[in-house]
Amino acid sequence: MAASTVRAFAAPLDAVDRIEDRAAGVIEAVKDIVADDPYLGGHYPDFTIYPGVFTIETVYQAARRAIEERGGPGTRAEIAAIASVRFSAPLLPGDVLRATCELTDLDPSRVRVKARCRRGDGRTSAQLTLELLVHKENADA
Amino acid sequence: MLEHADIKRILPHRHPILQVDRVLELDPGNRIVATKAVTGAEPCYVGLPAEAPASAYAYPVSLLVESLGQAGGILWLHTAAQRAEPVTGTLIFGSARDLTLTGHAYPGDVLRHVVHLELVKGDNAFMRGETWVGDTRIATVGEILAVLRQDTTLVPA
Repeated sequence: MAASTVRAFAAPLDAVDRIEDRAAGVIEAVKDIVADDPYLGGHYPDFTIYPGVFTIETVYQAARRAIEERGGPGTRAEIAAIASVRFSAPLLPGDVLRATCELTDLDPSRVRVKARCRRGDGRTSAQLTLELLVHKENADA
Repeated sequence: MLEHADIKRILPHRHPILQVDRVLELDPGNRIVATKAVTGAEPCYVGLPAEAPASAYAYPVSLLVESLGQAGGILWLHTAAQRAEPVTGTLIFGSARDLTLTGHAYPGDVLRHVVHLELVKGDNAFMRGETWVGDTRIATVGEILAVLRQDTTLVPA
């Protein structure tokens, strides 16, 4: 599916360029690292590194979209916890981030997202586990 | 107290990802209290449709964590400077665990971070902290690791 161009919630950037379904409950989000994305001009002025927290954003946006599509109109998913996150290699302009995200329903309102993120050269850039809280909201609330 | 100009002499981050506005208290080697005002003028709010619900304006968790981490970075680097310890390398986010979100911040709110420096080992600083909006704690992190990377491939050409 294509990335949405209209942002429905506050976010520092569109952190997902493409999403590919891999298997039941497994999605792969792809993000091209480019220096002129919002916020990156200050991180850092002399050279660009994709901020670690934006990898969290990539995984969150991909999982949120999958959960909201599955749950239908009014479904919202927000981060309740970052159980763990570890960064092991930097992402620089020209790199392609591939986040393989495994979604597990813990109960009807909680989804665990385990993600391994790799660069174009195959090296793992980050591993993280999020817990998302899922609820229904009136579209015009 | 450290003002924004002082913060820019400590952290390498620049507008708009510099996510700390003011330091209220700093006990070197131990604890910092720092604030960041959330405003609707920030880039993360660009392009939200008029019909977006109130919940769409929750400050992004990624930026909240960045802000908390930067407060910790100020504590670490300011402590090192006071002790005349050399600081070289690129400041990066190494890891975090046990981070829980228990509330939200919206435009008009002020984030108040309280971060404790637990251990400095070479180029690694281990911290823990909380983020408050008024009397409400909205985030708690059990451990956050900041790293000074000495990686030469990160040096600008």
